[in-house]
Amino acid sequence: MRRILALSSFLTSTLLSASFLLTLLFVWWWNSRQPKPIELIPTLTGQPEYCLTCHADLPEISASHPVETFGCVSCHGGERLALDADLAHSSMRGGANPSDLSVVETSCGGSNCHSGSEADDRHHIQRVMTSVQSTYAGAIASIRYTFGAQTDLNARFGIAAVTDEQTRTGIQSLAAFELSSESNPSIQKFGEECLTCHLHAEPREGEDYARQTGCAACHTPLFDSPPIFGENGGSQRGVHTLTTAISYTQCNACHNRGNYDLRTMTFIERSDHATTRLQNYYQPIAQFTLCEYTLDCVDCHTRGEAMGDGDIHNDQASIEYVQCKTCHGTLDELPRTKTLTDPNDIAFTLAFLNPVIDLKLGDTILVTERGEPLWNIRALPDGTYEMVGKATSQYFTFRPVMGTDCEQNPDEQESRYCHECHAVER
Amino acid sequence: MTEPSRRDFLKLARAGFLWLSGALALGGLFRFLDYEPNPAPKTEFDLGPVDQFALGSRTLLSDPPAVLLHTESGFSALSLTCTHLGCTVEQTTDGFACPCHASRFDADGKVTHGPASQSLRKLRVEVTEAGNLILYTD
Repeated sequence: MRRILALSSFLTSTLLSASFLLTLLFVWWWNSRQPKPIELIPTLTGQPEYCLTCHADLPEISASHPVETFGCVSCHGGERLALDADLAHSSMRGGANPSDLSVVETSCGGSNCHSGSEADDRHHIQRVMTSVQSTYAGAIASIRYTFGAQTDLNARFGIAAVTDEQTRTGIQSLAAFELSSESNPSIQKFGEECLTCHLHAEPREGEDYARQTGCAACHTPLFDSPPIFGENGGSQRGVHTLTTAISYTQCNACHNRGNYDLRTMTFIERSDHATTRLQNYYQPIAQFTLCEYTLDCVDCHTRGEAMGDGDIHNDQASIEYVQCKTCHGTLDELPRTKTLTDPNDIAFTLAFLNPVIDLKLGDTILVTERGEPLWNIRALPDGTYEMVGKATSQYFTFRPVMGTDCEQNPDEQESRYCHECHAVER
Repeated sequence: MTEPSRRDFLKLARAGFLWLSGALALGGLFRFLDYEPNPAPKTEFDLGPVDQFALGSRTLLSDPPAVLLHTESGFSALSLTCTHLGCTVEQTTDGFACPCHASRFDADGKVTHGPASQSLRKLRVEVTEAGNLILYTD
């Protein structure tokens, strides 16, 4: 009996020592498989970070944000010294999208970055937060007015509460739209079904609704690009890019997916399956001219219209103001122009950020009725104008209405009037 | 010669396992003790003999990003790190321009166009007894 016990004890200790050795061998093997840490010390922070150990293959996000200067953590957050993926990503801001409006101030803000002063034109975050794309103020006011919850169309609520202490529109603040305070069933339904189309909200589920939130909704191309890593390692649509060369497809991610049915307060998706730019650009019922589908939205619509101007606006109509005449003029007036004499003109900065045109001092560009530079449109000596597509870099020339046989009525300048003669057939 | 008993075999195997484990553990210990953290970023750069830089020359340096000037009054240097957010500025015909956010500086490093608001930083340059130029970035 004693012999058996002794043998058993020997066997056990031998097995234990073998297990110990195997464990050590496994740890050694596991350790040897770990990537060699790649250290980066960004100029901006001076603090080492190891994100490139796994993400060295990501393309530079933009010429204005080189990784050697910004690193990754300044924008994305995360644990800069961690080599374990879960730990490294544990404190990232906004998952893979640090520009989500819930975290954008921390990720993209700062007086030298995107929440600087209006005088320096660095109040980008304030502009976005107060923009109609973010507040959805007009739609909320319209629905509440329609169903008797307010007596006029004045905006009182936004998707989130927002203030503008230096208002030029007279609207100093919007309260957050609270669905629980609404009693009308149609407004309830509106709140449940129709609030996913703004920059704060995650999109509805489904490929047809794919889009980004926050700044990335416009500035990060969603289509025709390879997937990037997601919050938990899964793939996500979009690419590691920030651009001001925004294609119409990016705008269509929100603006041309279908229509609201106000009777049922539901969103009806487009039923046609567009395969060409002409089909894709507008829904079948829409009318448009040649330039309205050959160009990209940002070629005509200004950044003030799209991104806001820092003021709270009552509705889309009060901020979207560019018309056909902005570029083409009328029978009596040429479009407004401005000759660039100041090297610090904002037009040069915008052309620098999207270098599709080589603007020079002395060039004459078009400006809108509100003074925004149409920096990609230059007046030529022969009286015509040259436009460069911001997303396509294509050159277009066009002439003013003045001096032509156009039969327009000077008081009828909305696009629908121009469509009477110039609409494209399809 | 007698054949080893089962007990001898187990003894031998156990000793072998323990020796191997010990060797592996020692290897790990040596690796740990041998670890050297990354050195702190350099702040002192030996640019070589003074006579490499002729009077009147403006020499662009890549590491550290700086421009070395040799004038009648001696050697001086300007950092090429943009004072806005830290990108490396590029030399132009009339000064320097930042490729990130379009700040511009004149040839003396003064801001001529924002968003930068401060001049390019002047760096200290010294000549050693051996006749080498030393550039300090701290």
